[in-house]
Amino acid sequence: MTKHDAASVPDRLREAGGLLEGVARDIARETGVPEAHVWGVGSFYHLLSRPDAKIRVCTGLSCLMGGAQGVLDACKDAGMPVEEASCLAGCDVPPAVLRDRRTLPHVSVEDVQRAEGDWQRLDAAAAPGTTEWTGTVGPESASDGQLAIDLCAGAAPLGQAFARAVELGPERIIEEIAAAGLQGRGGAGFPAHIKWNGVAGQAETERYFVLNADEGEPGTFKDRECMLRRPDLVLEGMAIAAYAVGAKDCYLYLRGEFEIPWGIVERMIKEIDESGVFGDIRFHMHEGNGAYICGEETALLEALEGKRGMPRHKPPYPVSEGLWRKPTLIHNVETIACVPGIVQRGGEWFKGLGRSEAGTKLYCVSGHVAKPGTYELPLGATLDELVEVAGGYIGTLKAFSPGGASSGFLPAEMRDKPLDFKTLSGLGSMLGSAGVVVLNDTVDLRWAAAQQLRFFEAESCGQCAPCRIGTRYLRESVERHARGASVDGTLEHAADVAWQMNEGSICGLGQAAPLPLTSALKYFPEDFPEGA
Amino acid sequence: MIERTEHDVQARAAIKSIDIDGHSVAFSAGETILEAAQRAGVEIPTLCHDPRLEPAGACRTCLVEVEGQNRMVPACKTPAADGAKILTETERVDRHRKTLLALYLTDHPRDREVAERGAPNELLDMADRYGAPRNWGTMESKRDARDTDRNPYIHFNADTCIACARCTRYCEEVEGVSAITLAGRGAETTIATADSLSLLDTTCEMCGGCVDVCPTGAMGEKMPLTRSAKPERELKKVRSTCNFCGVGCQLDLNVDEEAEGGNGRVVKVTSPPPGTTTNDGNLCVKGRFAYDFIHHEERITSPLVRNENGDLVETSWDNALRVAADGLRGVAERHGANALGFVSSSRCTVEENYLVQKLSRAVFKTNNVHQCAAT
Repeated sequence: MTKHDAASVPDRLREAGGLLEGVARDIARETGVPEAHVWGVGSFYHLLSRPDAKIRVCTGLSCLMGGAQGVLDACKDAGMPVEEASCLAGCDVPPAVLRDRRTLPHVSVEDVQRAEGDWQRLDAAAAPGTTEWTGTVGPESASDGQLAIDLCAGAAPLGQAFARAVELGPERIIEEIAAAGLQGRGGAGFPAHIKWNGVAGQAETERYFVLNADEGEPGTFKDRECMLRRPDLVLEGMAIAAYAVGAKDCYLYLRGEFEIPWGIVERMIKEIDESGVFGDIRFHMHEGNGAYICGEETALLEALEGKRGMPRHKPPYPVSEGLWRKPTLIHNVETIACVPGIVQRGGEWFKGLGRSEAGTKLYCVSGHVAKPGTYELPLGATLDELVEVAGGYIGTLKAFSPGGASSGFLPAEMRDKPLDFKTLSGLGSMLGSAGVVVLNDTVDLRWAAAQQLRFFEAESCGQCAPCRIGTRYLRESVERHARGASVDGTLEHAADVAWQMNEGSICGLGQAAPLPLTSALKYFPEDFPEGA
Repeated sequence: MIERTEHDVQARAAIKSIDIDGHSVAFSAGETILEAAQRAGVEIPTLCHDPRLEPAGACRTCLVEVEGQNRMVPACKTPAADGAKILTETERVDRHRKTLLALYLTDHPRDREVAERGAPNELLDMADRYGAPRNWGTMESKRDARDTDRNPYIHFNADTCIACARCTRYCEEVEGVSAITLAGRGAETTIATADSLSLLDTTCEMCGGCVDVCPTGAMGEKMPLTRSAKPERELKKVRSTCNFCGVGCQLDLNVDEEAEGGNGRVVKVTSPPPGTTTNDGNLCVKGRFAYDFIHHEERITSPLVRNENGDLVETSWDNALRVAADGLRGVAERHGANALGFVSSSRCTVEENYLVQKLSRAVFKTNNVHQCAAT
């Protein structure tokens, strides 16, 4: 059994149609991986463990506010093989529905009825029969050098930034990244150059680059747009990063629901392979199978190795022990897409694009706004500024999540705070992946918190007790509270459970999971009436 | 004034130590905080830990504070670092233990009648010791079990499972068998076989190590459970040597002293703690589960010789040995030494087997000697 045999297990399960009877034994025979391990892997990933489900309706907060429940019920009524899904990264096109591995935008009850019970015929009138659709992005026109990424600019010819990078050499490149003040845009905001130096300085020469394209934080869909519209920046950024840290093999981990971005990135990799524009740097694409936790970098590494996506303990960090325990540089799609510009125009240029922090930032905005979409603004823009470019509020602002479910809820009074890493962290929230969800005054925050808790419960990996038990405990508690039950098991222990989850959980999922509830209780106590 | 030589200074520098609750504890390279603490007699609770396994850090009970670090760290998985200050008795650690265990109890039967039919339930003991609240309510985690598994020895009770993965890791790391796995995810995480097969239809060798390492009795032994034996903590443990082969594994016979009219009865076999015996707490299917013979009604308990009619009758050891010796000597005298052959049982110890070949070669002068497990 080689490491590649083990890594192939999820792909083989997918090709076999999921975790059907006998499949684990067959794959064990082909790979040498114990059949119980194959079973453990298949049962972990929702797109593999439930082979009968063909239609999955997103029940993320934005999609629920956009009518997901009605679509789900209609699918059930029509007798389709349907189930609920966690966020599909289509919060700007609610409700999003997954048909097999194809995400359909703006699916309506009429769309469901038109399919007459045949799940294969389900299509979205908003993008009928299209093999590629994109969301709303902005600003539509920008002067040269005004934006770090510029989603509307169209792909640039490959190779210019890479050639410049080779001219500079690894050390100078990393100096420019440091001067740029580039922070990781996957959620943590960690300074990128520290990781680059960390990998470049390892004694081990077998090193890898890994692209985290497992975008799954509810409210977030920017990486989807990056890959759809600027795959050139993503792949060139990867090539530069790999060159700078001495890696030859780049692994791309795209969530399994990204069939359309996959096709676009795959085509461009083919072009690169044919032209040889990035020398001996190789790209390897891997498909996820339905697990939010694999966006956590060490869970992603486990998934790439073909295992259950359970986060590792840190330290050691991936810079020293990453993929197959080799030094590994992992970056989010948007972070790496900033790299070609920094190399060509210099770190100072990038830094100057920001307001309270460096660079421009892709903000995703969904919920109660006129034009949900992905908008590139200076890092540190406020909610009001963001919503203004997104066509304005629908109704009266009540609350917002600045960075997806993990960031909890903030009250309308904080609409003028800079949406950056430091400010939001200081407010007990986080910028995270900048998936901004806007809620107007028609939304009950107890209900909204319950939906976020349901998401975390469904996506907890189950490795550690605080998260495994705590996510379910809190969701049940809130629902009991909403039903008007009292005494044991309602919210009287919520603060202790939240404390325990935050202190005791291994990774960020469990640590952040209570935040939607604790922040809703803090800012909107009126939505939690006693005995109501 | 004591003069220090260069050598003394170097020797002193080589000794690394950490400070645990104000006590300086020396440690050697590669040791974890937990190992150093255990040697120093400082109690740190664990559920998923077993010294035979790679630390998992999954149960979270062993979290302690390290001065200067924001987050508490798992003592089982964190290497001791020279000069580190470890705190195991702070308010924060205490709150952590209480709230974590309280949370565990919302997802676990709290009644010992249910949760402690076999081995002592380490989770309930720990909850008692650290004063965990028991009034946080009960939640439902529907986990797949394997109630129809027809194997004769091992029963999995999904309701008392805390998904610490001690069993699956033992099966993989110690036995190299990998018959069971963590399956599903989140609150529904359980222990499974591929396709939910009976253990008999997997690579399982029925060593019962999963039963031994399980901290909550979720992995239990079928026989004492079905025969409604007393819980293990009411049984007397008698250390003995397994007599199924020559390895000489140490095991503990669990005796119900009141049974058999006060004569006592072995109702179960358990393994000694890891690190205390040559078998390191490991047993095989025979040692752990094949103890039925002890009280079997057909078991031979005294020597037998045949009388003139060819019937076996009880006799003394002295007489039995004399009869055997006479018979062997007679054959050798009449037909020569090579007319004799000695076959010893695989249930004899190595020492006994040695003596049999000595008897064969040195006393009876024949090399016709064999041991039935030597093929």
